[in-house]
Amino acid sequence: MVHLILMRLIQTPLILVAIFMITFVCAWLIPGDPLERPEGQRPPIEIRVAMAKQYNLDSPGSFLTGYVHNLLTKFDLGPSLQYRDQRVNEIIASGLPVSALLGVAALLVALHIGLVAGVLGALRPGTILDLSSLGVAVVGVSLPTFVTGSILLVVFANLLQLAPVGGWGTARHLMLPSLALGLLPGAYIARLVRLGLADVMASDYIRTALAKGLSSRGVLFKHALKVAFLPVLSYLGPAAAFVVTGSFVVEMVFAIPGMGEHFVNAVLNKDQFLILGVVLVYSVLLVLFNLVVDVAYAWLDPRIELT
Amino acid sequence: MRWLLLAILVIDLVIVAWLFTGTQSQQEADFIFVCGTAHRRLDPQRMSWGIDLRIAECLFDPLTRIKLPEMVVEPAAAERWQVSEDGRTYTFYIRSNARWSNGDPVKASDFVYAWRRALMPDLVADYSQLLWVIDGAERFHIWRQRQLMEYAAGEPDPEIAKQFYHDALDKFDKWVAVRAQGDKTLVVKLVRPVHYFLQLCAFGTYMPVHQLTVESQTTIDRHSGRLVQDPSWTNPRKLVCNGPYVLSRRRFKRDLLMVANPHYWNRAAMGNQSILELIIQNPANALMLYEMGQVHWLPDIPSSGAIAADLLDQRREDVHIAAAAGTYFYNFNCKSTLLDGSDNPLADPRVRRALAMGIDRPSIVENITRLQQRPAKSFTPFGAIPGFDPPREAGVSFDPRRARSLLAEAGYDSIHGGKQLKGLSILYNTGSGHERIAQAIKRTWEHELGVIVKLEGQEVASFGERLKNHDFTIARAGWFGDYRDPTTFLDKFRTGNGNNDAAYSNLAFDRLMQDASSELHPIKRMAILRQAESLMLLEQPIAPIYQYVNFQMFKKDHVKNMFPNPWNYRRLELVEVNSVAGD
Repeated sequence: MVHLILMRLIQTPLILVAIFMITFVCAWLIPGDPLERPEGQRPPIEIRVAMAKQYNLDSPGSFLTGYVHNLLTKFDLGPSLQYRDQRVNEIIASGLPVSALLGVAALLVALHIGLVAGVLGALRPGTILDLSSLGVAVVGVSLPTFVTGSILLVVFANLLQLAPVGGWGTARHLMLPSLALGLLPGAYIARLVRLGLADVMASDYIRTALAKGLSSRGVLFKHALKVAFLPVLSYLGPAAAFVVTGSFVVEMVFAIPGMGEHFVNAVLNKDQFLILGVVLVYSVLLVLFNLVVDVAYAWLDPRIELT
Repeated sequence: MRWLLLAILVIDLVIVAWLFTGTQSQQEADFIFVCGTAHRRLDPQRMSWGIDLRIAECLFDPLTRIKLPEMVVEPAAAERWQVSEDGRTYTFYIRSNARWSNGDPVKASDFVYAWRRALMPDLVADYSQLLWVIDGAERFHIWRQRQLMEYAAGEPDPEIAKQFYHDALDKFDKWVAVRAQGDKTLVVKLVRPVHYFLQLCAFGTYMPVHQLTVESQTTIDRHSGRLVQDPSWTNPRKLVCNGPYVLSRRRFKRDLLMVANPHYWNRAAMGNQSILELIIQNPANALMLYEMGQVHWLPDIPSSGAIAADLLDQRREDVHIAAAAGTYFYNFNCKSTLLDGSDNPLADPRVRRALAMGIDRPSIVENITRLQQRPAKSFTPFGAIPGFDPPREAGVSFDPRRARSLLAEAGYDSIHGGKQLKGLSILYNTGSGHERIAQAIKRTWEHELGVIVKLEGQEVASFGERLKNHDFTIARAGWFGDYRDPTTFLDKFRTGNGNNDAAYSNLAFDRLMQDASSELHPIKRMAILRQAESLMLLEQPIAPIYQYVNFQMFKKDHVKNMFPNPWNYRRLELVEVNSVAGD
C-alpha cells in the first residue's frame, strides 16, 4: 500500500508536466489573438505590440520561462487576458470552491440514487419501486444535462416556486443543480450495483451463507454489497471527471459562478494563462482523486495488487 | 448495513424538507438588472465594452453627461465651460461641490492625471485614440512607446526606469495641451475643431480618477520600464468614486452592488439609492427572473437567437426595440489579388455592386432576424447622427435584373452560358445566427444571379484572424459607432486604417476625409463627409444589410426614466422603480 502511494506520488509530477506541455503547445497553436476583439475596433499596432510584450506573448520561449518561473516561485498563475482586472489565481479561487461543492453534492446525489436503485433492484426485482427507480436512472442517462436542468428549473423554480431560479449562495441553491448533474452518474452507478449484485448473489459462497440460514437481506448487506461496490468505486474516478467537466452546462443553466465556464471560454478566447491555470488545477485534482480511489480499492479488496 | 441505509433515507427526507421550506430572499436594491457577461475591467481608462461603461457611468462623474431623452450634452462634474472662437480651446470649470467618495474635492488635476494614464501606452487603453484629438497627444503616445522600446533593448535598471518615467511626465507637460489652472479649472486645446468633443468628454476614457489612490497602486516594472497598475484598485474597499454610486460589493461573475454616494453633488436628483447588477449568462434564466418580478430591466437579451424574436412576436408592452447606431454588413475583399496570389474577381467594383444588389434585405429582416430591423442602404445608420443625412441614394436595394446586367458588363454571364464567377466564399463566425443569413444570401445569388459561393463558418477567434489578414473574399461584419459623428463610421475606410478589413483604398476618399477634418464650418463639414460616404458606397467595398436594433425589456409603468435610444445612452442614477404590492 505504501509502495503504491509512493509510486503514484512520484508519477504525479511527471503526469502533470506532460499535461502542462501538451496544453501549452495546444493553447499556443489556437488561432486568434486574445488581445483583440474580433469584431469592431481593433487597437492600433503599437498598442498590440505593447500588450504582447507586457504579457510575454511575443515568443513561446519567453512565455514558457516566465510562466514556469512565476508558478514555481510565487504560485502565481498569471493575469487573465480576457478579464483583465483579475488574476488567474483570483478567478480560480472564486470559482473552484463553487464547482467543487457542486461536484461533491452531485456525486453524493449520484451515490444515493445509484445505491438505492441498485439495492431495490436486487431486493425487489420487478416491483413498481424497482421499475420506477430504474426509470429515473434511464431518464438520467438519456437526457442531456441542459434538458434535465432546464426542466427542473421550469418545474420547481418557476411553476412550483420551491427552489430559487439559479444563482448561488445558500444550501437551497445547491438542490436542483446537483440533482441535474448527479442524475447521469447515478444511473451508471445504479446499473453497476444491480449487475454487480446479481453477479455476486449467484456465487457459491453466497449460496452457502443462504444455506446456513442467513436471510437474503442479511446476505445482501453483510457480504454482497461490499463486493458489488467495487466497480462503483472504480467508476468514481471517471464520475468525478464527468462531474467536473459536465458542470459547465449545469453552471450555465443555473447561473452558478463556478469554474466550468472557464474551461470552455478560456479556449474560445485564447486566454492562455487561464487555460493553463484551469487545466493544471483540474489535473492535480483528478490525479489525486484517482489515487485516493485506487487506494480505497486496494484497501477494500485485499486480493488486489495495484503495484 | 440495513440500518445505515434506513438512516440515510431518513436524513435525506429531513434535508429535502428543510431545503424546500424557506423564505424567499428580500430584494436587495432599488433597481435590479441582469448583465449578460462578466465584466472585463472596471478601470475607466482601460475599458471598451458597453457593459463595463455602463457601470463606469455610475461610479465616475465625467465633465459632461448626455441628457435623456433629448440626447444633448449637459454639465456633470463641470458646471460650465467656454469654447474659444476657433473651436479649439475648451475651458471647463469644475463644480465647487464635486467630491470624491472619501470627501476629497474633485480637482482639475484628477482629469489631467486620468487622461495622461490613458495616453501612456503602458496601460494599454483600448480607446486611447479617442484622446488623440488633444493637441500633442498622439506625438506623446508614440514618443513614450519608442522610449519603452529603447528601455526594453537595454539592461533592466529600476533607476533608469524611473528616470525614463519622469522624462515622460516632463514631455507630457510640455507637449500635451491639457492643463489644470488651479484646482477647479481645466483647459484643453485640440488639434483641430472637433464638434463632438463635449460628447467625448462624457465617455469612459475621459472620466477622472482619484489621483492619490490610483497613483499609490501604480508601480514601475523594472523589466519593461512600464507603469503597472495593480488591478485590485477597483475593489470595493479601495475604489474611490466621484459618481452617483460607490461600489459596495463585487463578486466575480455573480453580481455587483452599488450604493448611493453620499458625496455626489447631484444626490437630490437621483431616482434610486442602490443598484444591483446580476451577472447571468443564460438568457432563459434571466427571463425567468424577470417574469417572476425579481429583476426590473433586461438590457442584454441577445438579438440573435429565438428568444428575442419570439418575445417580439408576442407583442408584449414591456419589449422595447430601438434602432441602434450600428450596421450589419458584408465585407468584400478589394485587393487586386487574394492571399494565395490568384486574381481577385471582386477587385472590379461592378461585380461587388452586382452582388450587393443581389441581397434581398427585406426578406432577411422579415424572415430571419425578425426584430423589425431597417434594411440598410448606407453604412452610417439612418436617423442616428443629428445633422447628417446618410447618402442612401448611393446605396443599393434588391434589384436582380440590374445586378445581372452589371455582371454581364463585367464579363460574367453564367445564366446565358458565359463566364462563371468563381472562387467566392462567405466567411462568418459560427454560433450567432450568421449562418442563416449567409445561407439565404447564397441561395438568392444562385437563383437570381447564377453566382455560386461557398459558405465558410469558423469559430470566432480564427474568423478574426482571417479577417485581419484579408484571407477571405466575402466576410460578414458588424460595426457600432462610438460617438455621434459620421467619422466613427467612415474613418474605417481610410487607406491603411487598422479596421479596414475590406482593404479599401481610394485616395479621393482619403482626401475628402482629410478636408473634412480641417473644415471649420459644421454644415460644410457634414456635406464633405456625406460626399465621402457617397463615393465609398458607389465603389461598394461593403454591402450594408441591415441596421442593428437594441432589444430591452422593462415595464414602463414600474420603471421610469428609461429612454431606449440608438446610442445606448443611459442615466441609471435617474431611474425610478415603483414596485407594485404583490410583485
